[in-house]
Amino acid sequence: MATPLIERILGASAGTVVSFQPDWLLVTNGVAHQAVLEAQNVAQPAKVQLYFDHNVPTGDPEASHVFDILRDFAKKYGIAFHQALGSAYECLLHIVQPGQILVGGGSHASILGAAGALGIDVSPLELARVLENGNYQLVVPETLTVKIQGNLPEGISSMDAALQFLTENKDISGKMLQIIAPQWNLHQKSVFCSMVCGTGAFSAVCVEAGIPDRVLKLDGCGAMAIGPCDRRENQKKAPIFPISQLRGRSVEAGQIGGYTGGTIEDLRRADRLIQGKQLAKGFRLSVCPATSADYIKAMEEGIIEHFIDYGAQIQAAGDRSEVRQGAGVIGRGETLVTTGLYTYAGCMGVPDSSVYTASVETVIRASWTKSL
Amino acid sequence: MEKVFSGRIWTFGNDIDTDTIIPGKRGTIPTIEEMKKYAFELLKPEFGSTVRPGDILVAGSNFGCGSSREQAATVLSHNGVRCIIAKSFARIFFRNAFNSGIILLTCDGIQDVVKGGDIVTVDLEQHKVSANGKEFPVGAIPQNLFDIVAHGGLIADTKRRLAGGFQPEPHKELDDRERRWKGFTLAEKILRKNAGVEQVKPGDIVISHPDMFMIHDIYTPYLLDTLHQIGAEKIFDPDRVTIIFDHCMPTAVAKNDSAHYVAGLELAKEYGIEKIHIGEGICHSLMHEKKYARPGCVATATDSHTTTYGGAGCFCSGIGTAEMAAALITGELWFKIPEAIKIVLNGHLPKGVLSKDVILKILGDIKADGGQYKSLEFTGPAAHEMSMDARFTVANMALEAGAKCGLFEADQKTADYYGVPLSEIDWVTMDEEAQYEKVLTYDVNELEPQLSCPQGVDNVHPIREVEGTPMDEVYLGSCTNGSIEDLAIAAEILKGKHVPETMRFIVVPATNAVFKEAIRRGYIRTFIEAGAVICHPCCGLCCGMPYGLMYDDERILSTANRNFIGRQGTKKTLSYLCSPAVAAATALTGVVTDPRKL
Repeated sequence: MATPLIERILGASAGTVVSFQPDWLLVTNGVAHQAVLEAQNVAQPAKVQLYFDHNVPTGDPEASHVFDILRDFAKKYGIAFHQALGSAYECLLHIVQPGQILVGGGSHASILGAAGALGIDVSPLELARVLENGNYQLVVPETLTVKIQGNLPEGISSMDAALQFLTENKDISGKMLQIIAPQWNLHQKSVFCSMVCGTGAFSAVCVEAGIPDRVLKLDGCGAMAIGPCDRRENQKKAPIFPISQLRGRSVEAGQIGGYTGGTIEDLRRADRLIQGKQLAKGFRLSVCPATSADYIKAMEEGIIEHFIDYGAQIQAAGDRSEVRQGAGVIGRGETLVTTGLYTYAGCMGVPDSSVYTASVETVIRASWTKSL
Repeated sequence: MEKVFSGRIWTFGNDIDTDTIIPGKRGTIPTIEEMKKYAFELLKPEFGSTVRPGDILVAGSNFGCGSSREQAATVLSHNGVRCIIAKSFARIFFRNAFNSGIILLTCDGIQDVVKGGDIVTVDLEQHKVSANGKEFPVGAIPQNLFDIVAHGGLIADTKRRLAGGFQPEPHKELDDRERRWKGFTLAEKILRKNAGVEQVKPGDIVISHPDMFMIHDIYTPYLLDTLHQIGAEKIFDPDRVTIIFDHCMPTAVAKNDSAHYVAGLELAKEYGIEKIHIGEGICHSLMHEKKYARPGCVATATDSHTTTYGGAGCFCSGIGTAEMAAALITGELWFKIPEAIKIVLNGHLPKGVLSKDVILKILGDIKADGGQYKSLEFTGPAAHEMSMDARFTVANMALEAGAKCGLFEADQKTADYYGVPLSEIDWVTMDEEAQYEKVLTYDVNELEPQLSCPQGVDNVHPIREVEGTPMDEVYLGSCTNGSIEDLAIAAEILKGKHVPETMRFIVVPATNAVFKEAIRRGYIRTFIEAGAVICHPCCGLCCGMPYGLMYDDERILSTANRNFIGRQGTKKTLSYLCSPAVAAATALTGVVTDPRKL
C-alpha cells in the first residue's frame, strides 16, 4: 500500500509528532490578522504572504485600521503585501507547487490540496508562533483515501459532491483526506478540497491514484445546501440538506463569488444559465469574481456585461464569504443563498437573517424565481 | 400659533452641515424616533439625550448646508427644537425646516451675546429676538412658510389642502414666442416658462409644475410613510416620476438598506410608478443619461446634487421628502425666483486642468455660502468648450456654494446630447438685458489643478500648495466625476502602470452604461491591472456608504463632491477632493501629484 501523500510530504508516519518548516505562511484579514498583533518577530519573511482580501473595499473604519496594521507589519519585516488581487487562496492555488506546505490562519487552506500541496489551518495565535520561529509541529493525521467515481450529473457541481460526501461520511473529523479524482479539473478539485473539510477533516489533497477507503459515486449526487447555524464556532455543525427539501423557500438575495463560486469557470457556468432568463423582480444578485485575473477574463469574454444586463451587481474581487457591512448584505428576515462558505447568523448582514451555501447553479436558479 | 415664546439656547458656529446635524451613516435608520438621538453626535454628543422641547438653536451663517436630507430638520423637530436663529440658512434645509414645523429666523448679532443654556425670547409679531437684556431684529417669514408651520408642518398642511377638496390649477406653459422674451436670467426664463408667468423678478414666488420628479432609495421609506400619513391614494402623474436605487443599492448597511429597497418597490407598485432603476447607477447621472431631465425643463429630486442637470440647461433643485410627497400629490412645487450670478469662463482649459478644477476654484473664491439661494449661470468660451459631462460636473458642485441651481446655456452640444434640434432649446441662453446680482469672470488659461482640503468643500488650494501630501486611498467615481470621460482621463494616466502596493484605489463608474463602455474601451482592465478595486455603479463612498471607509488620521483623495467631517470614515479621517486627473496621478505615486508633471 502506497504511503499517503501527507506522510511523504512530512516524512513521518501517522501518529508521530513531526516538526517542520512550512514553505508558505499565509496571513489574511479574515481572522488571521490577529496573528500580526501577537507576533514579536518574523523568522523567515520571504515565506510569508500577507493578503488583504476580505472586506474589500473597507466596509468600516476598523477594517481600514486593519489594513494599516498589516501594511505596517509587512513593511517592518519586508514581507510581501498584496491587496486588490482577490482571494488569497485562489491566487495561491496557482502558485504553490505539489508537495509544498502552507500554514495559514484561515479555515480553508485545504483548497491547496487541489494542486497537490498541503494546506494547514491554524489559529491566529499558533500562526503568530510560526511567524516567530518558522516551525510548526503536529501529530501526523491518519489518511482516508476517497475515490471520486463517475461524472457529475448535468447541473450538479463539485460543491454538491462535497456536501454529499459530508452527509455520507460523519467520521472524518481530524482525518487527512486523500482525493482521487482524475476526471476533474483544478477548479472542481479546489472546490471539493476546500469544502470537504467543512465538518472537521484535517485537510485534503488530491493524488493521481491509490487504493480507496471510500468511494463517492457522482451519479448519485444531487443539488445540496448548507443551512443556517447560530454561531461561527458552530459552522462545522451546520445542517446540510438536499435542495429538494428546501424547494420553494423564498430567497431575497443571491451571491456567486469567491473561490467556490467566483472563478472564471464558475462565472462561465453562471453565464450560460442566465442566457434567455430574467432576474426575478425583488431578487438581488451579487457577482463577485474570485480574483482580479478572473474579473479580467470575465470581462474579456463578455460575461461581466451579460451580468450587468441581467441586473446583477458586480462586486469587487475578493473573499466575500463573510460581509457584515458592505455590498451584498441582507437585512432583517431576509434569506441569501451564496456560494460563500459561511452560514452562521450575521455572516452576511444582520443576525436575524438566514444564509444558505449552495452551488452556482442553485444560486442562479434562485435568481429566476426568487426561491430555492 | 404662539407669536411670542422663549426657549433655552444651544449655540453653534458657521457652516453647520447636515452631516453634522445627523451623520450620513445614521441617515438610513428607518425611523426618525430611532434616529433623533444621534443628532449632532459628532459635535455635541450630549445633544440627543439632553435637548428639551422648546429649545432654540442659535448659529452662525449657512446653517444646514450640505445634503438635502430632510432628516436633518426632522430629527431636530422630533427632538422638540422649535426655532433656529442663524445669520443665514442653506436653502434646502430652510425649506425642510419649515416643512417640519420649525421656525427659522435670520439674525446677525445675537450670536455675540449668548452662550449655551441662556434663554432667548422670540417675538414674531415685532420681528425681534431678545436675550441677556439685548434685542435684535430678525427677518420676516414668508407668509406661505408661516402658514405651513402654523398648520403643523407640510404633512398636516397638505392633508388640510386635500381635505378641502384640492384640485390642481389649470396651467399653461409659455409658448415658444413668449419664452424667448429678453431680459431674464436662465433661471427666470425656465421658471416663467414652466409656471406660465410672463413677468418674474427675484423674490417672486412661482408655482412650478415639474416635468420630472426623482426619488432615490435613501428616501423611499420616508416618502412612502409620508404619503401614507397624508392619506394619498394616488399621485398626480406617475409617468413624471422615477425611482432610482443607488445610495442603498447594492445593499451594504445590513440593518437598514434592505428596508429602503423594499420600500422603493412598494412605492413603485402602490403609486403606479414604472420608471424604476435598480442598481443601474447614480441617480443624477441616470437622470441626464436617460434624458429624464431635459433642457429648458424643471426637475426636482430628493437630493441636494439635483443641480447636476443644470449642465444641460435644466432648472433642477433638491427638496426634502415631505415636500416631495406634497408635490407628487399636487403636481406643484413653489420656488422663489433666485437672484443670479453670471460666471464668465474665458480662455481654454490647459491640458491636465478640468472642469472640476474650475468649480473648485470658484467654490474656494465665493465659499460655501457664496451662492446661497442663487442661480449660478455659466457662460463664456470655456463653458461652451466643455463637454456635457464636464458641464454636469460643474453644475453638480454649484450646490456646494449653496446655490439653488447651476445652469449652462443650451447649445449645439446640448442639442446633440439630447437628440433635439437646437432651435427647440436655444431660448435657454443668456441675454444682455438680464439683471444679474454680479458677474464673476475667470480666465481659465492660467488655472492650475485645485484641491478641496480638510474639512470643508470651500477650503480650496492650488495643487502646488498640497503637492506631496501622502494619501492612503484614492476614490474615482460619483455623480461628479464618474463619467466615461472621467474614466478615460484616469485610464490614460494609468495605462500600463501600477499603483503602490499599499495604495487603495477604488473605481466606481457612475452608471451601468458607463461601466459597460469602460469595459469595451479597456479602461476597467487598465484600472484592475493598475491595482484598482472596481465596484458596481452606485453612490458608494461619496455618500459615506461602506465602499472604502477610512480610519483616524488616514487621508483619502476623492473625485466626489463633499469632504465633510466623518463622511468618508471617522471624524478624524482627512478627506480631499480633486479632479479625475489629479486622482489618477496621485493613485500612481501615493502622494498628491500634479498630472501635468507626469
